[in-house]
Amino acid sequence: MARSWSKIFHLAIRDYVHEWLMSICFVLALAAVLGPMMVLFGLKFGIVGAMVDQLIENPLNREVRPVGSGYYDHAWLETVLERPDVAFLVPRTRSIAATIELSSEHSPRIVPVELIPSDHGDPLLSPDDPLPEGVTRLVLSQSVAEKLKVAPGDTLDGSLTRHFRGQQERVHLPLSIAAIAPAAAFSRDGAFVSVALLEALEDFRDGRAVPSLGWDGDAADANRTYPGFRLYARSIYDVAGLRDAFSKLDVDVHTHTTEIELVQRLNRNLTSIYWAIALVGLVGFSLSLGANLWANIDRKRKELSVLRLVGFRTADIVWFPMVQSLFTAVLGWALAVAIYLVTALVINDMLAAQLETGQQVCRLLPWHYAIALLLTCTSAVLAAGLAGLRSARVEPSEGLRDL
Amino acid sequence: MSSAISTAPQSGAPLIYHLRDVVKTREAKDAAFTLRIPSLQIAMGEKIALIGESGSGKSTLLDMLAFILQPSEIGAFSFRPERDEQPLNIQAYWKKGKINELGDLRKRYIGYVMQNGGLLPYLTVRDNMNLCRSVLGLRPDGMVEHLADELGITAHLNKLPDALSTGERQRVAIGRAVAHRPSIVIADEPTASLDPYAAEKVMSMFIGLAEEFDITVILASHAWDHIKQLGLRRLTHRTIRNHNKMFTETVVTG
Ligand SMILES: Nc1ncnc2c1ncn2[C@@H]1O[C@H](COP(=O)(O)OP(=O)(O)OP(=O)(O)O)[C@@H](O)[C@H]1O
Ligand SMILES: [Mg+2]
Repeated sequence: MARSWSKIFHLAIRDYVHEWLMSICFVLALAAVLGPMMVLFGLKFGIVGAMVDQLIENPLNREVRPVGSGYYDHAWLETVLERPDVAFLVPRTRSIAATIELSSEHSPRIVPVELIPSDHGDPLLSPDDPLPEGVTRLVLSQSVAEKLKVAPGDTLDGSLTRHFRGQQERVHLPLSIAAIAPAAAFSRDGAFVSVALLEALEDFRDGRAVPSLGWDGDAADANRTYPGFRLYARSIYDVAGLRDAFSKLDVDVHTHTTEIELVQRLNRNLTSIYWAIALVGLVGFSLSLGANLWANIDRKRKELSVLRLVGFRTADIVWFPMVQSLFTAVLGWALAVAIYLVTALVINDMLAAQLETGQQVCRLLPWHYAIALLLTCTSAVLAAGLAGLRSARVEPSEGLRDL
Repeated sequence: MSSAISTAPQSGAPLIYHLRDVVKTREAKDAAFTLRIPSLQIAMGEKIALIGESGSGKSTLLDMLAFILQPSEIGAFSFRPERDEQPLNIQAYWKKGKINELGDLRKRYIGYVMQNGGLLPYLTVRDNMNLCRSVLGLRPDGMVEHLADELGITAHLNKLPDALSTGERQRVAIGRAVAHRPSIVIADEPTASLDPYAAEKVMSMFIGLAEEFDITVILASHAWDHIKQLGLRRLTHRTIRNHNKMFTETVVTG
């Protein structure tokens, strides 16, 4: 049994190589259909994938911002932070108090900047850069860094004033630059600082003492409340739920839900269009592959009859076209992958300028290739098996007569 | 209508084929053909010639004897390829649809020479001649080279069939049918496409090999002339056609 199978395998290869021109034609015909289909899928996966990635990753869309100001204390913020759909939460101090004037020895300018509370895991900051820390380290927005002509590691002078006990009072504090924030993080003049520093500045402006910085004033209030907070949902899919939860707590929030829904709908529509095209392509592909293999086996009926005549069994004879179809399938797939890779390279290269680094317009994952191979082999074996069975069923004398 | 002389099978030798009341009917659009075999006995070692005009049913009979065509009706059909074994009931094989088992019998005991060779175009002459042997798993023992020598095709052993003349291809086909030392070789007009001189030469080579290896031969041909000196037993057959050729019946006995 095993002998006749390996014998048939051997004969199938000999015939395949002998008819190399025909074999090449079949492989080309297969690759000509499969290659473009892979490009189509690559585009679908690349463009839509990048879009969704951007949506999910873009922190601006994940932001949930309270409208107006409230009185949020530590305990309340703590319970919000415990929610699984909240990725990042820091309290905000009063916005009038959250400013500082910065100057550097590299530049004659004095730049007033907004201060943004930050902490570990701030989605606006690069996770690879050092974070603002304590009351001395901050992360500058790019526009400030340019105006002051500074780089990470430089030291700045921060200053602010207050009217205290009837007098104008100005304090200075040294600030070191931990990092420069990405351009997209904050477009105005701003700096990311720790909540501790913001609290200190607010306390100073309110006429309270800040012992850590050596500033004089009244005793600090034990029950601190905050007028607002910076909150980011875990993903864009959690934004709508958070908004509803806040509205139950009578906290009005502003979210980007409409933008999110718009892009999600676009994504859904695009996906269904792609699937429709893919389905048509798939049917066409299966039919062309099946027709090709069927025609090929019909052509070989006489030779299959000769095999029958010398005593091969039905199963062996069906195996013969299946082996050849498998060759065609695997070679055609490999050629299609090559076509796809070249096309994808060209497309990605062409559009590289418009994309963020690492983004690709045309992209497939390893399992996409595997699925394409599996699909091709299955259709090939199925078509060849059916056709082979048909030719094996023909009475051998009939096949021999078609000489 | 035609008829021919016949001699009874050699007495004593066991019968390799024994057919009784075997019928094959073929119906096409507007013509029907019936082949009737009231009785056919072929003894081991016999050399049989089946002579008849085109369309008389020679190929039909040979195909049934090679188990590649199922008879429409069978009274009895026994096949005894081994002297020391009981005859096999071919009728039972067909009835149970044991096509693969019939293939196994063919593989082991029958060589078949087709009218135009039936060589596989993708195998060299050597591999074509070796085909039946390799299917049986026989080890190379010089048989192929010996046959190639006898048939005068040694120089072509490593060529593909396309590179051979028709006569050379027929010789390869004969070599292939004999190489695995079958009990019977069935040849359907093996020299029909050759010129008379080449035909005679190939035919005598064939019969010579059959005698060398003690193989039973069943040979179809449309002309008696160029094989009559080979000493074959000729099967009797009678073909009846009705006037408008709507219906043909051939009766073979022997
Ligand atoms: N597949 C078929 N279907 C219907 N009729 C067939 C079929 N094959 C052969 N026949 C008919 O059977 C008859 C005998 O055919 P067969 O091939 O046995 O003749 P033959 O004696 O071998 O002829 P030739 O010398 O030309 O080879 C012919 O009349 C032919 O028309
Ligand atoms: Mg014929």
